[in-house]
Amino acid sequence: MMSKKVKVPLAITAILMAMGYLMYTGISDTGVYYRTVSEVLDQASIFDGQSLRISGEVVGGTIQYDQENLLLSFAVRDTENDRVTMRASYKGVMPDAFKEDVEVILEGSYSQYDNLFNATILLAKCPSKYVAEAENEKQVSQ
Amino acid sequence: MVELGNLSQYAALGFALGAIILLVGGIIRNDFRYIMGGRRALAFTPLFTTMAALSLTYLFATDAFQVEYVMSYSDRALPFFYKLTAFWAGQDGSLLFWVWTLSLFAAVVAFNTRNELEQRPTPYIYLVMAGCMVFFLFLLTRVTNPFELLPFTSRDGRGLNPMLQNPGMIFHPPTLFLGYVGFTVPFAYALGAMMGGNPDESWLKKIRVWSVLSWVFLTIGIILGGQWAYVELGWGGYWAWDPVENASFIPWLVATAFIHTSIIQERRNIMRVWNMVLIVLTFVLCLFGTYLVRSGILQSVHDFGATGLGGYFLVFMAGAALLGFGLIVFSYQRLRSEHSIESYLSRESTFLFNNVILLALAFATLFGTMFPLLSEAVTGNKVTVSQPFFNRVNTPLFLLLLLITGLCPLIGWRKASASNLRKNFLLPAAVTTAGGLGLFIAGIREVYPFLAVSLSIFIASTIFQEFWTGTRARVRLTGEGALIAFPKLVWKMRSRYGGFVAHLGVVLMVIGITGSYAYKQENQATLKQGQTIAVGDYTLRYDRAGTYSDRNREVQAAEFSIFRDGQYLDKMRTERRFYTNAEQPTTEVSLRSTLLEDLYVTMPAVGENQEVTLKVAVNPLVIWVWIGGFVMVFGGIMSIIPRFTRREIIPHV
Repeated sequence: MMSKKVKVPLAITAILMAMGYLMYTGISDTGVYYRTVSEVLDQASIFDGQSLRISGEVVGGTIQYDQENLLLSFAVRDTENDRVTMRASYKGVMPDAFKEDVEVILEGSYSQYDNLFNATILLAKCPSKYVAEAENEKQVSQ
Repeated sequence: MVELGNLSQYAALGFALGAIILLVGGIIRNDFRYIMGGRRALAFTPLFTTMAALSLTYLFATDAFQVEYVMSYSDRALPFFYKLTAFWAGQDGSLLFWVWTLSLFAAVVAFNTRNELEQRPTPYIYLVMAGCMVFFLFLLTRVTNPFELLPFTSRDGRGLNPMLQNPGMIFHPPTLFLGYVGFTVPFAYALGAMMGGNPDESWLKKIRVWSVLSWVFLTIGIILGGQWAYVELGWGGYWAWDPVENASFIPWLVATAFIHTSIIQERRNIMRVWNMVLIVLTFVLCLFGTYLVRSGILQSVHDFGATGLGGYFLVFMAGAALLGFGLIVFSYQRLRSEHSIESYLSRESTFLFNNVILLALAFATLFGTMFPLLSEAVTGNKVTVSQPFFNRVNTPLFLLLLLITGLCPLIGWRKASASNLRKNFLLPAAVTTAGGLGLFIAGIREVYPFLAVSLSIFIASTIFQEFWTGTRARVRLTGEGALIAFPKLVWKMRSRYGGFVAHLGVVLMVIGITGSYAYKQENQATLKQGQTIAVGDYTLRYDRAGTYSDRNREVQAAEFSIFRDGQYLDKMRTERRFYTNAEQPTTEVSLRSTLLEDLYVTMPAVGENQEVTLKVAVNPLVIWVWIGGFVMVFGGIMSIIPRFTRREIIPHV
């Protein structure tokens, strides 16, 4: 019969090891690289076909939405560099905050062949306009 | 009013600083008069913070758009009620609210310790409270002052974010803050005890009451947050393991751990060092949560905008952690208890495992939340994890926690005997087996949902067994009828039964979460007038659409007929709102909520020919998440209702 000096730590170790295992496999199975548009395009052949999360901005005049079939397509540009863009497509409803020039986060996979990002998740960030506009106004008035 | 607000903030800062100087002086010179002075200064701070808070409220109420904060979060068209609650819509006002409650709590602490002024920890407790207040008042006066003036008077304000114009949003932030602020008090008591030395036994009881109270507020805050997300954000769920949600959940887990092991310390005087660690950790994690939310270091759907506040919080948090953990190391020998857990098969050890799991959950959640930063720091590659990661790691841990929760009352203190175990296990084991069989027959065969509901049945049956044996014992003892004996018993032993009630709340919540996550049904489509969409047993027919304008918004509305199994049930309408000063439309959520399931409808788009895009979902049992949450809160409150010192009058026979 093992003493409690062994049993309790043993059980705790088992729990923690199981958790460690779940965390490890959880990250390797569900973790996705988080990249900017230009990072992906710089190493397009490496990222081709990989699941990725990217952030960028919606390019004005490129939004096409087929409301009946819920197909959204648009171009997304790098936040830092306007000229670096890729196309993106998403099947589903268009989020309220989604529109031209807004920052979006896409999760899905990139295909180098047609420079297209196939998004399964689309998040549009509400611009924190309150802060930004207040800053602008301050500058104007000064 | 602006001047009054500013002046009040400075006065509060002055008094808090004064309290620190007096207290330090009193401690160094061992002079009681200084300490009394420090206490008085501390007790006066709420006067000034209340004045500041009232000033800001007044400015909001009177549309004082020369004040930048008021201009940024209110406008003339805003309903009056929301004008008042816009107080905490932004960072500056939130901090003022924070300081206001902190000062009130400090005054309560000063009052509560009126008979313990001679005790050595007391001045240190005041000192910690005053120190925290100085930090926040410094931020308010120097960094994010809500009374900052614009160089001009704006004709109108920018208005309150439409998503915040919702009843759930009114109480979510303040309750969360009350929880965060509340944990300052246990932290102060813990540090006071370590710096001043030799706390008596009543010390732990006070910490416990404050911790449970703060825990109650934090719980309400988290639940209201989830409910707000559910009825306002329109994505159909209430919890997404988003960094901002996790920021409040992590301290909650650690606080929950402390609430449990403090019972062990009260009863057996063990785990004293561990409990100190938990108190300090809870407070530090509350600050960390605020840092996470305010610094903008993580990508979150909830965007507060990165502000300069993060750095200050990081420094303050590091200071609190260093001081707290340093003191624990320093006073380790004194804190250490002579006893330890006697047997692995004892109620104490179930509490130990409860703690291991709660902290494992906190760690895994923290790790996942911070993983983008960690992975970038270590490998240079930013990797994010989201819901699937948290669900995969945390679900088994939660199930294990449920098992422990059920086992706990069945196992005796110190060392359980075999016969004692057999007797206690018989009924719950039978009920759980029958319940599990029933679930299996009913077709619930996925592993996690099956385990979750079976374990819930197990917990509930152990709790009812407790109620039953307790009532029976009282009936035998007093000769009362069972219907009288039961409530009397619960009331008399409310600190214990409150815990059971909280666990019943957990059970209800688990059932709600299981139902709504595992058995959710969704559909989406674009409909022309007269077309239908089906989800679960429901069919929705799009009847007509129209537009109208309200006080501060233009609205597109559509009307539907709901059919269940072909039978007409009800009408339903859903809206898209275009608030005049918002840049984007807001999709309103239409809900048809019953105890069994919610029909959840949103309309993300209306086309040129009045064709509407609909998202419909059937979320089973969602309502039990809220009900369970409030039962939990009720149990928590019940367990800390003070014992009245008046002796019960024994009736003459």
